[in-house]
Amino acid sequence: MFSKYRKFINGSDDTSLDTDNKANNLGPAGQNALVGVGVTIEGQVLSHEDIVIAGKVQGALIAKNHHVHIAKSGVITADITAKIISIEGLVTGNITGSESVSLTATSIVYGNIECPRVSLEDGAKFKGSIEMNPGEPTQSVLPIFSVSNGKVRKSIIESGQIGTKASSL
Amino acid sequence: MPQPPIKPRATLTQPATKLLPSSLLSELLGRVDTDKRLVILDMGHAMASTVRFFGEYRCQLNFIDLCAEPFIVTPDHELSHNQRVILMREVLRLAPSAKIDICLFWDVFNYLDDAYIKALIEALEPYISPATAALVINPRDSRCYLPFCRYGIADQDHFMQIDNIGAQPTVFARSQRELNNLIDYFAIDRGRLISEGRAEYLLFENRDIDKTDRSMI
Repeated sequence: MFSKYRKFINGSDDTSLDTDNKANNLGPAGQNALVGVGVTIEGQVLSHEDIVIAGKVQGALIAKNHHVHIAKSGVITADITAKIISIEGLVTGNITGSESVSLTATSIVYGNIECPRVSLEDGAKFKGSIEMNPGEPTQSVLPIFSVSNGKVRKSIIESGQIGTKASSL
Repeated sequence: MPQPPIKPRATLTQPATKLLPSSLLSELLGRVDTDKRLVILDMGHAMASTVRFFGEYRCQLNFIDLCAEPFIVTPDHELSHNQRVILMREVLRLAPSAKIDICLFWDVFNYLDDAYIKALIEALEPYISPATAALVINPRDSRCYLPFCRYGIADQDHFMQIDNIGAQPTVFARSQRELNNLIDYFAIDRGRLISEGRAEYLLFENRDIDKTDRSMI
């Protein structure tokens, strides 16, 4: 998994990346975008798929329904908004996750985190605030099917609103 | 005869971690209204166990590691009190309307001289309410050695302690009475002895208390 990108992320054929990707639940290589170790982006990055940042991003990083992974070599000076955010590198900016944010032992984060679930490994360097609400629904999108007048209808609602919207279908 | 499993030896890169029993942590946590959103200020290094523990609550967890600030290593003795207060406010950077429910000072007072403690206490004042509860770890008396550790919350009855790596900053060891006199509107409500020559103190806002003669331990 991700093996063909290994040298672009780590600058070498580091096999530990396979393990990292499994641990971070990143999808197959073909389904992920990559900002390689030698790449610097200034501006807004808007991703509609899981994305790995091994280079530098300055501006904003948005992947609302996807996973953003900041590799060890990643240097981000930007606010990050995503469904799942995992950080091994350096981030200066505010982080908003709709599902989970995890900071590994190698991560350095200066900024505020807002997410229902936040995990941090000992060794991580963090300065800022963490806004947690474990009861808050995650924002994953589920299809809901309902039957009305003999017709099957499908509507997309957010998982936390099933009770309200399903009853009104 | 079966041999016991061989335990891996601790290496220099793996700091020692241990659980430290606490008598006062449950009292501190028992005082706060966990039905509302809590505001917690942790003045130590961000610890996994603390994030995990408060992950069960609706809360804002603020980590401000004063020991990582340059003025701990090289304090500027030329600064006026007001300049120190401004410096502390810049480090705290709390929302103006925030009211702290739990303040975890850990052992930070031991790394600040008297002038910086007074500045920190004044800088914190807008965020303190009568409902604020605070926790401090201090040497049992001013002659005791202070272990160089970082602390977190493991559960209601235990701290998590991890040895720090690197040089320990200058320690300003104080007796309980000396500390109580420095923390102005806070007062040490009670203290308990913990291991390695240390004590834990529970602090509440109390502006009316007579601090001239108190001995809680």
